[in-house]
Amino acid sequence: MLRIDTHPTHQYKGFDIRVGKPLPFGATLVPGGVNFSVYSSHARSCELVLFKKHEPQPYAWIPFPDEFRIGNVFTMVVFDLDYENIEYGFRMEGPFDPREGHRFDKAKILMDPYAKAIGGRDVWGTEPDWTNVYPHRARVLLDDFDWEDDHPLEIPIEDLIIYEMHVRGFTRHPSSGIKHPGTFAGIREKIPYLNGLGVNGIELMPIHEFDEFENSRLSPATGQRLMNYWGYSNVGFFAPKAGFAATGKFGMQADELKNLIKELHKNGMELILDVVFNHTAEGNENGPTISYRGIDNKTYYMLTPDGYYYNFTGCGNTLNCNNPIVRNMILDCLRYWATDYHVDGFRFDLASILGRDQNGAPMHSPPLLETLAFDPILGKCKLIAEAWDAGGLYQVGSFPSWGRWAEWNGKFRDDVRKFLKGDPGLVGAMMQRLQGSPDLYQWQKRGTRASVNFITAHDGFTLMDLVSYNGKHNEANGENNGDGANDNDSWNCGGEGPSADPAVNRLRLKQIKNAVTMLLVSQGTPMILAGDEMGKTQGGNNNAYCQDNETSWLDWRLLDKNAELHDYFKSIIHFRKAHPALRSCHHFGSNASPNGYPDISWHGTEAWSCDASPESRALAFLLNGENVKGGTANDSFIYVALNMHWEMRGFRLPQLPEGLTWHVAANTDMPAPEDIFEPGEEKRIGDQSEFLVGPRSVVVLIGK
Amino acid sequence: MDITTTLQDGVSVVGVAGSLDSTTAPRAQDGILPLIASGCRLVLDLSRCDYVSSAGLRVLLMIAKQLAAKNGQWAIAGLSNEIKDVMEMTGFASFFATFGTVAEALAAVKKTCP
Repeated sequence: MLRIDTHPTHQYKGFDIRVGKPLPFGATLVPGGVNFSVYSSHARSCELVLFKKHEPQPYAWIPFPDEFRIGNVFTMVVFDLDYENIEYGFRMEGPFDPREGHRFDKAKILMDPYAKAIGGRDVWGTEPDWTNVYPHRARVLLDDFDWEDDHPLEIPIEDLIIYEMHVRGFTRHPSSGIKHPGTFAGIREKIPYLNGLGVNGIELMPIHEFDEFENSRLSPATGQRLMNYWGYSNVGFFAPKAGFAATGKFGMQADELKNLIKELHKNGMELILDVVFNHTAEGNENGPTISYRGIDNKTYYMLTPDGYYYNFTGCGNTLNCNNPIVRNMILDCLRYWATDYHVDGFRFDLASILGRDQNGAPMHSPPLLETLAFDPILGKCKLIAEAWDAGGLYQVGSFPSWGRWAEWNGKFRDDVRKFLKGDPGLVGAMMQRLQGSPDLYQWQKRGTRASVNFITAHDGFTLMDLVSYNGKHNEANGENNGDGANDNDSWNCGGEGPSADPAVNRLRLKQIKNAVTMLLVSQGTPMILAGDEMGKTQGGNNNAYCQDNETSWLDWRLLDKNAELHDYFKSIIHFRKAHPALRSCHHFGSNASPNGYPDISWHGTEAWSCDASPESRALAFLLNGENVKGGTANDSFIYVALNMHWEMRGFRLPQLPEGLTWHVAANTDMPAPEDIFEPGEEKRIGDQSEFLVGPRSVVVLIGK
Repeated sequence: MDITTTLQDGVSVVGVAGSLDSTTAPRAQDGILPLIASGCRLVLDLSRCDYVSSAGLRVLLMIAKQLAAKNGQWAIAGLSNEIKDVMEMTGFASFFATFGTVAEALAAVKKTCP
């Protein structure tokens, strides 16, 4: 039956129009037309601007009649539009009074903050027309998709093994050997590889539409073009980056990404999005006006009393996250990705900003974070905070969580790196990191689920570079090596950069195995940086945000070169998946099980005694496999010995219950294939009372 | 866009020439839907179709669903490599049986539904 309110009521220069619905915001297909709806508290009037796709100039301007405004929302249905072949924007008229926070400019054509598809950067790296009056163009998206029976996987977070990747970097290198390098479709082609590796959570660095040409320039050091390659700078929050889709030139990026997610789910892998709600690509008062600044500057941005932009992000502006309107936009956005894209979780970049009030002060109970923690639609989504910001707020262990939020555990990264290179005084800290950092999270009863453990991430060195460089080498970024972190806690193993010394290379290989073993036997959720499993190097660049070239792209030839390393990664991932005792959701208590062993016990070179003095670099722990995971599973006994001293150490082994014996599952001091054994093929050891752990080595035993 | 319909061995062969997009998709839909009846057999010949847009793909999927609901048999013939590739990447390919030529598509449709 036809509704009686779906016919035009007005005409404007040949266009049939009627008052629209304010919700949902954005452009929505309705019977016979498109419903446009945009919010502005301070605009006096608004005009819809229509372009034919790719045309330089608009073909129509349709003012929203004042009687079509509902509250502060301009809304209108325009009938008979060729929705697939138009681009739309808005022009807003209002005060230009920067001291009061207003920067309206009627000359600017503004992108819809709720645009679900954005044109203008359809093919990655295609030189834009710099005279374009409307460079980032909102488009109407057909957002239906046949998901069949797909559903987010809802894997418990402690069972996830996250793999952080850059969409383009993962397959752009010619050696990837696939049909559509550098795209969502490219990742789909590599699903068998990911499955073989064994990871079950893919975390994509930002995929919201951004401008790879933002601040693009030539590197004074190398002459290469520097781009905004990472994309931590949103143009639009609701639209996938067209340039990451092989079908972006046809405007089908949403379908391509959805298909990737559907296929990942079919293969048992979750998808987590890295979302950047702390700032936008508009920069400060000298930056471009793309959308928010011209639509309602005072609402969208945190402003100083003089009307300048607070810069808690290091990127020129700060999104006004705890303004009720912006808060709702963020909620709408996350709900949209969870609902329409079946996304399994989100990692929030510089999430501490989301806990600042409108003047920038940290809040005790930030409404946005609370809203997200309790939102019913996001109820099963992983929420992972990068619990710090560029304004000096550091909240690892204290991020407002309501028991829902997990954190990138920066302390894990720092302590493991220091311990790995043999720094003194780390044994006590390592005891915390290995058991899910109760020192950080137990006071709020957050359990191990609060801790996303990592040693490397996109920020900083790759794992190979961590063991190959003492200092960063960012000259190619064109800032005289001044950018990027200085506190890398890295060690080059005896010579800066690539080495011809076999002893150095052997030690590097072992150090990487040590690192990934520590990561994967720790309680909490491990995260691996894509490429670390094949020894990816960035030549010592620890801040490759602008390097759209071989520095960043994953060179798949490394799979052959570092086959031993890749095999080790696969096996240690397999080991973690085979052992539920490594994946507890609670912090360990002191309760003894029926078999008399505590759930975790600490050892060293002596059994049942752990030397945590400053000069100690040896530590071992024993996990009791009985009644693990809250009594839902049984496992073997697992004993892990960590010797980060440069000399071999004998570790006295704790005695097992009658009938069980110790078997080696992994020993990083041994060359392949004796370095790690598949579950069921662990090698029984001769001396059941003591194990010699090599210099800078990790040994994993199981008692069965 | 032009649509032609012929009957070959009891199978409707629908040829679409030109672009299948938001402006032409409704016409294609109007042309094809009346052919869908219980147990019908249909071949869609896209060998003269140069472009299938997002809206075009959705019309094809809708036809597939309607045919399935009526136990109809169908196949698509003559897709260009580019269109086929786009269908693959966006997930639409899994809903269609595609063949190089009309003859092959006819044979397949007749085989599955004697």
